[in-house]
Amino acid sequence: MDTSSGIQEPFDLIRLSLSERVFVKLRGDRELTGILHAYDGHMNLILSDVEETIMLVDGTEGAPPGHGVVNVAKRKMEMLFVRGDGVILVSPPSRT
Amino acid sequence: MDGTPPPPEATPPPPPPVTSGSPTEFLKNVVGKRVVVRLTSGVDYLGMFFSRLRVLSCLDGYMNIALEQTEEHVNGTVTNRYGDAFIRGNNVLYISAAEPL
Repeated sequence: MDTSSGIQEPFDLIRLSLSERVFVKLRGDRELTGILHAYDGHMNLILSDVEETIMLVDGTEGAPPGHGVVNVAKRKMEMLFVRGDGVILVSPPSRT
Repeated sequence: MDGTPPPPEATPPPPPPVTSGSPTEFLKNVVGKRVVVRLTSGVDYLGMFFSRLRVLSCLDGYMNIALEQTEEHVNGTVTNRYGDAFIRGNNVLYISAAEPL
């Protein structure tokens, strides 16, 4: 069997990111960065020291793609439970 | 008229499958190669199937995906780069090989 550094399934990528700052992309044009404390098979997440970034596209619908006015709202939270079904992507810190 | 001759040209049997192509076979073949993962939202992720140590360590039964050297493409432009990325399977529309198999 592989040892602690082994990646046998995608979830191991998450397991190796525990206690690290991760980037999470969510449905609804939201992104989070925070310290990952726990997760489960649904990808429910417990994060601390979280910053949420919300992308709001304003302006006319007829604007060419990429030229809509994008407003970015940010807010910070100490501790957060993220329901797994909203998660699109989790990216661990780059370890090189 | 007994002893009827066999029909002159029996239809040939269907050729054996060339690529022994099951979905699993495809996935095994793209491990360690660059792939495009398209999400239902239309966002594309171009990356390498995680290939450290074990075959198919990059996929599970939910089609959760582990990619490395990942580029996020929206409308053909790169919008983000991630060293490693975990994609939750429910968002996946398809997985496509980005290089010849």
